[in-house]
Amino acid sequence: MSLVAGPGRGGVADDQLPDELKLVIDKHVAYIQSLDSRRNELEYHLTEHLRISGIYWGLTALHLLGRPDVLPREGVIDFVLSCLHENGGFGAAPGHDPHMLYTVSAVQILAMVDGFAELEKKIPDGKTIIAKYIAGLQQPNGTFAGDEWGETDTRFLYGALNALSLLNMLHHQQPEQSPLINVTAATDHIKACHNFDGGFGVMPGAESHSGQIFTCLGALSITGELDSYLGEEGKDRLGAWLSERQLDDSGGLNGRPMKLVDVCYAWWVGTSLAMIDRLHWIDKKKLTAFILRCQDPEQGGVADRPGDMVDVFHTHFAVAGLSLIGYPGVLEVDPAYCMPKHLVDKVLGR
Amino acid sequence: MASHGVPRVSGATSLDKSEQARAKERKQIESYKNLEKDVTDRIRAKDYSNATFQLTSKLLGQNPEYYTIWNYRRVLLQDVFARELKSGNDAITDTSNGGSPDAETAKKAGLTLAQQEISLLIKEDLQFLIPLLKQFPKCYWIWNHRSWLLTTATIHLPAGTAVQFWRGELALIGKMLALDSRNFHGWGYRRTVVNEVERLGGKSMAEQEFEYTTKMINTNLSNFSAWHYRSQLIPRLLSERQAGNDERRKFLDAEFELITQALYTDPYDQSLWFYHQYLMSTLDPANAQSPSVLDPCTNADRLSYLEQELDNVKDMLDGAEDCKYIYQALLDYSRRYIDIEAGNKKVTTMEMRQWLDELRKLDPLREGRWSDLEVKLGL
Ligand SMILES: [Zn+2]
Repeated sequence: MSLVAGPGRGGVADDQLPDELKLVIDKHVAYIQSLDSRRNELEYHLTEHLRISGIYWGLTALHLLGRPDVLPREGVIDFVLSCLHENGGFGAAPGHDPHMLYTVSAVQILAMVDGFAELEKKIPDGKTIIAKYIAGLQQPNGTFAGDEWGETDTRFLYGALNALSLLNMLHHQQPEQSPLINVTAATDHIKACHNFDGGFGVMPGAESHSGQIFTCLGALSITGELDSYLGEEGKDRLGAWLSERQLDDSGGLNGRPMKLVDVCYAWWVGTSLAMIDRLHWIDKKKLTAFILRCQDPEQGGVADRPGDMVDVFHTHFAVAGLSLIGYPGVLEVDPAYCMPKHLVDKVLGR
Repeated sequence: MASHGVPRVSGATSLDKSEQARAKERKQIESYKNLEKDVTDRIRAKDYSNATFQLTSKLLGQNPEYYTIWNYRRVLLQDVFARELKSGNDAITDTSNGGSPDAETAKKAGLTLAQQEISLLIKEDLQFLIPLLKQFPKCYWIWNHRSWLLTTATIHLPAGTAVQFWRGELALIGKMLALDSRNFHGWGYRRTVVNEVERLGGKSMAEQEFEYTTKMINTNLSNFSAWHYRSQLIPRLLSERQAGNDERRKFLDAEFELITQALYTDPYDQSLWFYHQYLMSTLDPANAQSPSVLDPCTNADRLSYLEQELDNVKDMLDGAEDCKYIYQALLDYSRRYIDIEAGNKKVTTMEMRQWLDELRKLDPLREGRWSDLEVKLGL
């Protein structure tokens, strides 16, 4: 069971799109479903190092589109567990080395398909083993490495908190156990990445970037510190920076000042605005139209920009972005986890 | 799977392809999978030979995103390094009675034979990455491997040799940023490299890095990455200069002068406004993320700069009445002025209302933000 192999099918040119744009849900569902059947394309094999994240992207989009059962549950669980290493980390595909990014994707998938029981059945104490792998990647300064080779990035820190909380293994979720990670050191590191313009960078001193802002806000949100740390003043400053990501001509969002718009920022910028209660600071209608223009209305799938190749990554972020905006027919997404909200609520016992 | 900027073309799917094209693709897949299997089998069999190493080069050249293969490459390098260090070549050899040429070179460089060998291998691998970085400048794993090589050099080699490796990186990053002046990895890597050169060399590079940002800004005003880096260097620069308050004030005035000129060139460029905002934020005690440039910074200082910049920004309106950033700045700085001195006559509610109206007209996309601002300002 494996998914993905964008870039997908060629579509019609931008100027041939009808005026009344709609989300072609059935076509996107079919597109995601078709991804696993494309082993006869070189691209399928060249993207194996992303396979498990591809499943997370496809599965989340399907859930949000109200079609959670399109991918066979057993097959998904079997594939995910086949990527698990003895040390508790997951690789992107069987045989690929363990890494934080793919471990987070694996945990997210298991949470979505309610597969933790199967995990525990196959590997007793599986949840704890995974949690220990993640915790073992925390560095003395609070941040997290991606794997044993030591690269650090706020993406990994966010991922660690995301997965540990879905496993219900953060200290506040199991106060009777000794803490697995140092949450204070982790959030201190996030705060050190905070910039004068209100945004966050990939490391202390680095320029603000929408993707990193999402990871930093997500981390603060999971640890419950977002509101108290930023305050209204901090939210206004960050909200101003984020809202300037929307460009007049296209209505799309970019990741940094003076860069090109891209559908994936509909998620990173949009959900960051949502987490600080400022989503109404951008024009949702125009953003919706931009996202819909990036669809392939014939074959399904969404591209980074109108007229480009579609892929499952952008399809996922397009659907998640539309969910934030409240597009009809798309289920509510959780802004910090990028998963269906009702499932996150259930896993976290909220 | 996550493609950016790849135009949609017809004929991309297998259905549209000719039998000939499909046969060709099948062959490509087969040769790729065979290569992958060859590498993986050898690693599992612990065949850490030069031949295996060359095969990882070949595979990574075809697919630099394949992170596991980069890990294999590091395993292979670590194995050679460990063997070198264990072989007894880790002492400076006495070459007085005619040692090998290798030993002679090593001795000259102040390295053991093992260090000499490690240094050569690292150098070669750094070379291997250059064409890949040119072709895939945004691939995380290539930058990642490069950092690892440099960090490993620091572990195994004397500081004097390691620092030369790190210094060499500055030239490379300079070239990369000249090609793509906003490359996120490039700027991030630059910070890492500068930190290491400073640490190993024991000397600050704040002055020369500040010069570098001036150069980059002069090449392209609209480079927010360069402006941001500049903002990060300023507090260090001033403290290293042991600048007194007069010098700090002069420095701040010069920066305002620089950004004002830039804003007159292009008031529609938001990169420039963010830097103006940065300079103003150094005077704002409410912004904890912005260290003060003036030391001490009194409320009188704050008012005087706010007055100066309100006048300055108002002047920019002439000929750029449709520039929304000007109204944003005026409203932001007015609010801060009022916060410090409520009973002032510098800004009037009427004026602020006018600016807000203009802003709403010019920037309907962010109407929600302007209506919140209206409430916040009590207009
Ligand atoms: Zn994108």
